Amino acid sequence: MSAGGRYVWHGISRAAGLVAQPSLAVELRAHRLSLQSGAVLHYELDRVSSGELSETGAGGRHLGEEDLWGQASVDLGPTRLHAGLVRYVFRGDSGTGGVGSARNTTEVFASLSTTGRYLNPTLEAWWDVDRVRGAFLRASLDLPVLGWPFPPYAFVFVQTEMGLNLGQGPDPARPGELANFASRGITHVSLGLGTEVRAGRLSGIGVTTLAFGARSQLNADDATRVDGPGRTRDFVVWLWTGVTIVLGGAGRTGQ
Amino acid sequence: MSGRRAVLLQAAAVLLVACGPTRLRVPGALSPAPRPGTTAGALQAGFARVDITPPPGVGLAGNGPEGAEARGYRLRLYARVLVLADGGGNRLALVVADLPLSSALLHRRVAALTARTDGIGADRLVIAVTHTHAGPGHFFEAAGYNDQGSSVAGFDPVMVDSLTARMARAVHAAVADLRPARVAWGSRAVWGATRIRSLPAMLRNIPMPTALDAPAGLALEYQLVDPELAMLRVDQRESASGAFRPAGAFSIFAMHGTGNAPSNDLLDADIQGLVERRLERHIDPDGGFVPRAVYLFANGAEGDVSPAWPPQSRCNVPTLAPLPALDGPFTRTLWEWRAPTATHLASCRHAAREAISVIGKRVGDDAVALFDALGAALTDRLPLGRAFATLSLRDNAHALGICAEPALGISTLVGADDAHTRIQGWLLFGLFDLGFKQGSPNPNVPGCQAHKRQLFDAAFGGLPNHLFISGNLPSYAQVMVLRLGDRVIGAVPGEVTTTAGRRMREQMLASARGAGLPVSDALILGHANGYLEYITTAEEYTAQYYEGGSTIYGPGEAAMFGRALARLAASVSAGDSLPAAAAPPLDLVVGHQRQVVPRKSAGHVPRPRIERVWCAGDTLYAWLQLGGAAEWAVTTGDVALRPRVEVVVDDATRTVVSWDDDPALEMRLRSRRGGLAWWELSWSGVSGRTYRVRIPEVAESDAVGCAMP
Repeated sequence: MSAGGRYVWHGISRAAGLVAQPSLAVELRAHRLSLQSGAVLHYELDRVSSGELSETGAGGRHLGEEDLWGQASVDLGPTRLHAGLVRYVFRGDSGTGGVGSARNTTEVFASLSTTGRYLNPTLEAWWDVDRVRGAFLRASLDLPVLGWPFPPYAFVFVQTEMGLNLGQGPDPARPGELANFASRGITHVSLGLGTEVRAGRLSGIGVTTLAFGARSQLNADDATRVDGPGRTRDFVVWLWTGVTIVLGGAGRTGQ
Repeated sequence: MSGRRAVLLQAAAVLLVACGPTRLRVPGALSPAPRPGTTAGALQAGFARVDITPPPGVGLAGNGPEGAEARGYRLRLYARVLVLADGGGNRLALVVADLPLSSALLHRRVAALTARTDGIGADRLVIAVTHTHAGPGHFFEAAGYNDQGSSVAGFDPVMVDSLTARMARAVHAAVADLRPARVAWGSRAVWGATRIRSLPAMLRNIPMPTALDAPAGLALEYQLVDPELAMLRVDQRESASGAFRPAGAFSIFAMHGTGNAPSNDLLDADIQGLVERRLERHIDPDGGFVPRAVYLFANGAEGDVSPAWPPQSRCNVPTLAPLPALDGPFTRTLWEWRAPTATHLASCRHAAREAISVIGKRVGDDAVALFDALGAALTDRLPLGRAFATLSLRDNAHALGICAEPALGISTLVGADDAHTRIQGWLLFGLFDLGFKQGSPNPNVPGCQAHKRQLFDAAFGGLPNHLFISGNLPSYAQVMVLRLGDRVIGAVPGEVTTTAGRRMREQMLASARGAGLPVSDALILGHANGYLEYITTAEEYTAQYYEGGSTIYGPGEAAMFGRALARLAASVSAGDSLPAAAAPPLDLVVGHQRQVVPRKSAGHVPRPRIERVWCAGDTLYAWLQLGGAAEWAVTTGDVALRPRVEVVVDDATRTVVSWDDDPALEMRLRSRRGGLAWWELSWSGVSGRTYRVRIPEVAESDAVGCAMP
């Protein structure tokens, strides 16, 4: 369960108010292979008025989006490969400025991540196969700052991210289609600082983790700059928090 | 203030107190004046042994964050007791326990009982520990050691009460065992079994230490140790025959109890346990599971002394990494301390067990040789005496010449080379050195703790230490000097480095002789009657290796203890009682109270049974249901008369080849299902024969053939 002061997807702000994002994921693992699947719901908790950035639309305070995903992963020592698919379903009312079902779409993705003592880079490639039909690349870097070695374990980390649009902009051949971004090139660069605390451990069952942090983003594309109809912002900052419960597997044995 | 707000404030205050650390006020119980006995002038000695192996679930203290939760046990943990008495009614009780750290709380609690039952109060009782890092925590006198002594946090009153009751009963049993005795002091150099682990710090001493008697060919860190194995052999008179028979010994040898790798997850008496058993079985070869002989193998000035384990016996430590699970497109990255692979852990643990075996045999053989040699020097003359003081370190810091506020150096968080922690070598973003390493003094630190680089001191000065650390560190030092014949022994509540120990011995010896005591040598008994971390010389302190960072009251500590021991050595007395000021009440902050020791067992515990026995490779396995989930290894009586489990050869005589007090046999608790304890036995001593597993007088498995590995 996450909550944040903004919902940002691929660098694009989709809601500028308080958002709650409950999610559920399961993983089956066999040796180096694992299959994962999950769903996430995006609830907007603020009642927005006309002209504010929202998926639900003015007056709404309900589910704005639901996403289903599945992926397969392979562990190759410190390196991990993923490939999967996400289905985006929008529940807003486009008539009141929200995001309606016309934007429903599907993306496939592949990613490569590796773990080091200090650097944990991930490179993701996304391909919209339904509505936009184009590619988007995201490179991110997670850096641990400090870890508290005694229970309750606590971690401080920095997250950086950069987006690169390769084909999710307007298509001159299909002028009527909706696009995600305005132009090719770098869409955004973001930097965040977070803290995680292992709040509780149920021996042999799993762990509960509390996290909170702040995130900032420098917007480089007209689409990522949008902060509501007629409003743009080059730089946004928001706070987020979340609680995660991991049952079984790594949650049972991890520190 | 509204009533509602007042209730809320009171509730918040109650919550804060409930969540805060536990505070205890522990009175001192000194010995009453001794009453002369009827056997004027005759020396008496009594021995006892008590099993203190707790149930799995406790933290293995001594390795900080790398100290694992105990899953079972290998060599059982014992507390061994020697009580010496003279015809003047003077009694001295020496307890050496297979525990990681000593505790002033435990010492005071035991003394409160034995002062009443046996006239042995705090001033006549020494509780020293072997410093095995495979022993339980949760009974220490300071919050820092209960809450950060291992990966299992908390102070547990049940652990304190259990240890107190068992040790007090053992002292009482040793008093009941008092018999006419003959003793002999001697010593022997044991080279090659230990080494100096912080050599650069040691080489800062002025004058520089030299190895005068070391055999040629040893590396410098092996040459500069204090190799002395000092031993008091004790023979008791048998009541039936009237003859004196070897009964046991007390000895001091400087060596960390770190044979086990920090990742070890079994309770174990470590190298010291093997040495103890080696001599006990030498004295009493037909003693069965519990030999009659008792060998107290105490630690000396071992602060910078490691066993000579090989590097491959130390496991890698966990690393900070994202959790490689549930890392989908909408799941948040979770971080974890990622443990090394199981293959790596098995390999380094195996290497550690091999090293324990080799070093244990080596030192044990020397102990046997020394014990035998002392048979020709036995005497019934052993004048006894003691001096005891409690130092209030914070209140009297100025007078004592130490810092008023204790502080930990960053090098403490990093750990020693026996057990460096996951923090060692950490750089901010992989680039910026924060000083998370040994030997990283900060020359710009002002004040009493000069040179000590503290956590975040560059940004916040001493504030983090003041707010979060110093209150969790100990405030008292109980210091004692014993006179046992022509030796004086300084019992110090901490880990004294080799050079600091040498200086203290010289000071004690000069002082005792100056006071007219006919003594030939002075010894340091470390880890006694409390725990104050490390005690380095002022020169070693400037290097800020692990030991210097852990000298919590600053560079004046060793000199302070030297003066205190010298003063006590000059005031050793017998036949008197000490003034109450020698043992004032201790106000202790012991940390967060938790139920660490398992409490619940099934209401009805069925007869133990053997579920399954099988062989795989060189190991024999068995699956057993053995007692309740919260049972200690010995639940009734203080020492088991027989093992809980044995491995026997499938022959007519059922030759016993192992039992659950054998370095090759591991007992792991696999389940507490139904409030019962389900154990897995693994014995790696298979030699191609057919075996049975036996629960003595209860059950025996079918025979299982194990191929020659």
